[in-house]
Amino acid sequence: MTRKVCIVGGATTPFDYGPTGFESIEGGATECIKETRKDIPEFSMRDIDLMIYSHFSVHFGHQLCSEWIIHDHLGLVGVPHYRVENGGNTGGSALYAAALAVMSGQHDVVGVIGWETMDSVSQSKGSEFIALASDIRYELLVGGIYPIYYAAMANKWMKDNNVTEEDVATIGAKNRNNAMDNPKAQWYRNEHKYITVEDVMNSRLISYPIKKYDCCLMSRGVAFVLVCSEEYAKKVNPDHYVTIDGMGLSSCTIRAGDRLNFPGWTERYGAGYPEMTEFGACRNAADRAYKMADIENPLKEIDFGEIHDAFSTSEAQIYKALYLADENNIAQFLRDESTHMHGEIPMNPGGGLMGYGHPVGATGIMSTIECFYQLSGLIPKKHLSKKTEVPDAECGIINSHAGTGTSISNFILRKG
Amino acid sequence: MSEAVVMKKKKKFADEPNFTEKKSYRPKGVKETGLVFVGHEISDDGSAMNQFLHYDQLYTIRHGRNSKFFKGLLDGEIWGTKCPKCGDTWVPVRTHCWNLDCNLQETEWVKMPLTAKVHTWTIAGWSGRSSLKRLPIVLVYAVIGDSKVAIANELHGIEPWNVEFGMQLKIVFKPKEERTATVTDFHFEPADRWKPSPMNPEKERIKKLVEPVYEWVKTLK
Repeated sequence: MTRKVCIVGGATTPFDYGPTGFESIEGGATECIKETRKDIPEFSMRDIDLMIYSHFSVHFGHQLCSEWIIHDHLGLVGVPHYRVENGGNTGGSALYAAALAVMSGQHDVVGVIGWETMDSVSQSKGSEFIALASDIRYELLVGGIYPIYYAAMANKWMKDNNVTEEDVATIGAKNRNNAMDNPKAQWYRNEHKYITVEDVMNSRLISYPIKKYDCCLMSRGVAFVLVCSEEYAKKVNPDHYVTIDGMGLSSCTIRAGDRLNFPGWTERYGAGYPEMTEFGACRNAADRAYKMADIENPLKEIDFGEIHDAFSTSEAQIYKALYLADENNIAQFLRDESTHMHGEIPMNPGGGLMGYGHPVGATGIMSTIECFYQLSGLIPKKHLSKKTEVPDAECGIINSHAGTGTSISNFILRKG
Repeated sequence: MSEAVVMKKKKKFADEPNFTEKKSYRPKGVKETGLVFVGHEISDDGSAMNQFLHYDQLYTIRHGRNSKFFKGLLDGEIWGTKCPKCGDTWVPVRTHCWNLDCNLQETEWVKMPLTAKVHTWTIAGWSGRSSLKRLPIVLVYAVIGDSKVAIANELHGIEPWNVEFGMQLKIVFKPKEERTATVTDFHFEPADRWKPSPMNPEKERIKKLVEPVYEWVKTLK
C-alpha cells in the first residue's frame, strides 16, 4: 500500500423498522457524528476534506441526491462529496472509495455516511424494490424477490457440500442471539428474544431451504465512519486506531444462471467455477485482500469477522469463499460452531444483517464500525456486556455483498 | 432559403422505427397519478410527523438489439444467440460475445428447442405482492438446449416436493392472446415421460413446509 489508511471512529443510529425509527436521514447522520465525536473529541467537522455517501435505492426515499440534504445539514458546503451505489455492497464500495482517496494522498480525512429507509414502503413493496436490482427483463417476474434466487443457489450448494438445513440454521440463531447483546440491533429492539436452531427450522418457509429466521431484516438506519491518514489517526485517536491492511473488490454476473461457465472465471479458477453455488467475487476479492495484507492462512491469522449474512445459507457460502473451510470440511466446520463466540473465528459478533439489520447503504458501514469497535476495545462500552467481545482481537475481516454475489468486497483490518 | 429546403437538407442520424403494431394490456386499476402527497399522521405528543407520498410512472423499456427474443415470446418461440467466433450460445441472450478474446463480437440469432434440463431449484413460500396468490411457486434455473447459461422460470404441473436436480423439462407457452412479450409467457413442465421418484425424508420435510403455504394462500382475498 502506498499510504496507510486508518479508521479512527464511527457510529450508527439504532436500526429499526417501522414506528420506532422515525428520525430523518440528516437527523440520523447528525446523531452518528455526535456519538463519534464523544469517542474521539479531538475530531472536528472542520477536519473533513471529502465526504462519500453510501446509499442504495432512491426508490425508498423518493428523493434523488438525498446526500445533498445531509451534506449541507452538516455544514459541509464547499467540501467535495459524491455518492457511491453498488447494491448490497454499497457500503463496502464506499469504504473502498474512501480508502483509495486517502491512499492516493489526495485526501486526509474522509467521512463516509450510509443509510437506507426501507420502512418508507410496505414490506412486500420493499422486497420488490430490492429485486429491481435483479435483471427485471428475465428474473423479476418469475422470482420476484432475492431470497428465491439465493435459495436456488443455496439448495444446490448444500447438496454439493453435504450441508443440512440444521447446519445453516445454527447461523440464523447465532447472529440473532449475538444481537441480543447489542442495544442498537434491530432484533434486540424489536423481536427481542433468544432463539434456537429449532425455532429457525420451524419458522415459515420463505423459499426452500430458506426459512424466515434464515433471512436478514429490512431496516431503517444510518451509519458514519471516519477514514483517514495515519498522521491524522495518530493525532485524534493515537491509542486505538485501526488500519486497513488489505482490501479487495470483485464482480460477478447479475443473473446467477450466467455463472455456469463464465469465460473470465474459467481463466482464473478453472472450468465450472463459481457455478451457481459459489461466490466467485467473494473468493476473488479475498485473494486480493489477503495478498495485500500478507495473509496466507486466513483461519489462523484472522480473529473474527463482520460479514454479509443476508441469509444464513449465504454466510456459510461466504465461509467457503473466504477459504475458512473447503468442500471436505465445511459441514463439520459448521457443526463445530467454529464461528460462534466460543469458536475459532467468531463471525458477526455484532449481530450481522440478521440481528443488527440491513439498511442497505448503511450495512457495510455498520460492519466496518463493529469491526473497528472490536479492534479498538470499545465493545464493552458499545454492547451490553463482554459476551460479544472477541478477546485480544488483532485482526478482523469485513465482507460486503451485493446482488446474487454480483459485487463483493473484503477488507482486512488490524490494530494500528 | 425557405424552411422546407432547410428541412430537406437536415442530416438523418438514424432511421426512426415506425410502430404500426401497438397493443395495450394494462390491467384495470393501474393509473399514473403523478406525484401526490396523500396524507399525514402526527404523534400524540406532537414530536413526530410522517407524511404519505404517492408516485406512479409509466416507463418505456426499449429492447433494442434484444427485441427478437421478446418478440419471439409472442410467437411462442425461444430465441437464443450464438457467437460466430467461439460458438458459445445463450438464453438469456447476449447480443455481443462475453469472451474477451472475441472482442465484443456481435452474435447471431438461433432458434432454441422447447426443451430444458433443471440445473437447480427452489420452492417459494413467500414472494412479492404480485405473486402471493400463486404460492407455492416452484422456481427452477434450467438450461435450454445447448445454452451455456441457465434461465430462471416457474415449473408447473408437479407437486412441489417432487422437483429434482437434472430433470428433463418441456417449455409450454400461454395461449397466444394472453401473451405479453415477457418471460412469464412461458413456463416449464416435466417432460412427457417423466415420473416422480418415491417419497423420501427430504420430500416429506418439504411437504411439511409447503402445506401451511397452501392454507395461508386460501385466506388471501
